[in-house]
Amino acid sequence: MIIAERKTLKELLGMIDGCSRVLILGCRGCVAVCSAGGDKEVAILASALKLGLTRRGKKIDIEQRTLVRQCDPEYIDPLNQDAADFDAVLSMACGVGVNFIADRCDKVNVLPALDTTFYGANLSSGEWKEMCAGCGACVLHLTGGLCPVARCAKSLSNGPCGGSQGGRCEIHPDVACIWQQIYDKLSGLNRSDEMKNIMPIRDWTSAGHGGPRRRIREDLLP
Amino acid sequence: MIKGFCCNYTLSVEPEALRSEGLIPEDVEIERLPCTGRLEVPEILDSFSEGAEAVFVVGCQLDKCHNLSGSRRASKRVGQARKILEELDMDPALVEMFYAGRGETEPVVEAARLMAARVSEQDQPG
Repeated sequence: MIIAERKTLKELLGMIDGCSRVLILGCRGCVAVCSAGGDKEVAILASALKLGLTRRGKKIDIEQRTLVRQCDPEYIDPLNQDAADFDAVLSMACGVGVNFIADRCDKVNVLPALDTTFYGANLSSGEWKEMCAGCGACVLHLTGGLCPVARCAKSLSNGPCGGSQGGRCEIHPDVACIWQQIYDKLSGLNRSDEMKNIMPIRDWTSAGHGGPRRRIREDLLP
Repeated sequence: MIKGFCCNYTLSVEPEALRSEGLIPEDVEIERLPCTGRLEVPEILDSFSEGAEAVFVVGCQLDKCHNLSGSRRASKRVGQARKILEELDMDPALVEMFYAGRGETEPVVEAARLMAARVSEQDQPG
């Protein structure tokens, strides 16, 4: 899922300074699952901002709403009718939701309440870890299912760098070297010989280095 | 005003009885909940917005919670509220979690007095 975390209250109070009516808009997608922007977090942010404003001697009408998703037109488009009269819509979705509202709702002043951080898995309650970089050219079939693009600090394609020591990463010694883990995983599967195959130089165009990416499936188009 | 939240198991008497007996300061307002695990962060923050100078929560002892994990949940939410107070340049000690045995009124009274003392310390000039 997409992992995100709330911006600081000072940053958010600064963004809405001068507004008289603000809508805090949550999303029940990924950000609800990672406890950053679902119904519960919307309620907490509304109360926190109200308290911050009270302490600053200010008052803003704050309304709360949570959409099923902020990355589908069917949920976003109604904002054109009922959100244009807010001075700001503070979106608690990932950056996709904020962009999508900005794209589709001309009159809505959308602001980001979250910092979108990475694609990750939920290790345990309250702990998430990056597992995928969305690079658009998956090599997991060659690496035992472990991603060297997302999980190697240098995104190396053919084995560990010279700095890997004792199975630990030289950049983050508290992180296991993913290439050591790939070796261990492939060895356990009797596939370690496959590591002798050199991966070709990566074409990073699919990773967004060639501009914003787009996917079209003709069979699903209206 | 100081706002307190207690569960029915830690405070079995009416809060008003504590005040009329002079056991808690006049400006302490206590709300009883079925379980402190029911308390959410917005209720704590809203208490401050509505004029509370401090907030305290009294739940069951962690290993003896009537609802098993209610007071643990409350304690985590108090922790969340403290972090938010810090973000807003408020003293996090203005919200505190306390624990009491079943039906023990004394820890509730002590919590109310301690928070009242904390507030009056902050009100002292210099």
